[in-house]
Amino acid sequence: MPSTTQLQKIALLSDTVLYNEAVAFIRKLVKEQDCDPLPTSQVNGLLSIAESASYDELYRFVVHQRDRNWPPSKRDIKTFYTALEQELSLMYRKRLKDEFLLLTQQNAQEIRKEADEVMALLARDYIQHLVAENGILQAEADDKRRQNRNQRQGRR
Amino acid sequence: MSNTTQNNEMKVIREVGIQAEICYGKAAELGDHAAHVLGNRHRAQMTGLENVADSTFKTSDILDYIKRQTARQSNWRQPYQPSPEVKGSEVGFGERLKNYLEADLKESLKEHLASIYSNLDIGDVTDEDKQERKRIHLLLIRQFIHHMVIHYEYRVSTPQNSHGNKKRES
Repeated sequence: MPSTTQLQKIALLSDTVLYNEAVAFIRKLVKEQDCDPLPTSQVNGLLSIAESASYDELYRFVVHQRDRNWPPSKRDIKTFYTALEQELSLMYRKRLKDEFLLLTQQNAQEIRKEADEVMALLARDYIQHLVAENGILQAEADDKRRQNRNQRQGRR
Repeated sequence: MSNTTQNNEMKVIREVGIQAEICYGKAAELGDHAAHVLGNRHRAQMTGLENVADSTFKTSDILDYIKRQTARQSNWRQPYQPSPEVKGSEVGFGERLKNYLEADLKESLKEHLASIYSNLDIGDVTDEDKQERKRIHLLLIRQFIHHMVIHYEYRVSTPQNSHGNKKRES
């Protein structure tokens, strides 16, 4: 189980690093790569796994969603999970140890266990921030669609 | 708790209280906006916000809550234009609040925060210093939200204010 110091550091990272990165991540997909925001069913599934499962299970879920044979109308979901897998992998392989300085164990097996536990918390916060921003983008898109429909009806 | 820790904590509370006063006008403006768009039937949404602010240790949890509410409740996305003479906002309530807490609050108190950190001898290098700065920022946000919710309550509690479209008393 992560120590109090690690938990405090994760909270600090969540506010100062993860929040901004998660917002930038989803905005880049939607605003620059023209993807649709993640649909509600996907958001619920991802959040529920992030909140309840181990990092290993979360990672497997993300890879599974990435590798599914999505129909062309749902290609954006594949794009989302592809980008998310890259972010999580980078965080796990490199940033956790070298940038965030969150690992304290020496032995390889213990490092792996500690990394999994700490990563579960980081990923949970990252996904929570990402999903909250996704909701805003989804609402904006819905409002815009509604406005356009009303304008079209008004013209008739 | 030792006497020194207790004294420091008192100093933090005092400093945060002083700085929060500076933001009172903005809290009242946002309280007006909330009263206008939420009315008195959605009090739970404001108390929910207060509860999140009081129970979390992360400012990002508060911002996420505001985003979730803004996404789910269309009234959180409504702008507020009380009258041509009174300055309102073309931006919806949730986004306005989020923008303020995310950036403007810190920016408008930049110099004051610098003096708090200097008075309390809080640096910006070690993790402990950063944690303390984060905590002070969170305390300020809590105070701001309390002021805003109290103003919202005041606006919706009396019939003449309940629609929030009256001119705000100066």
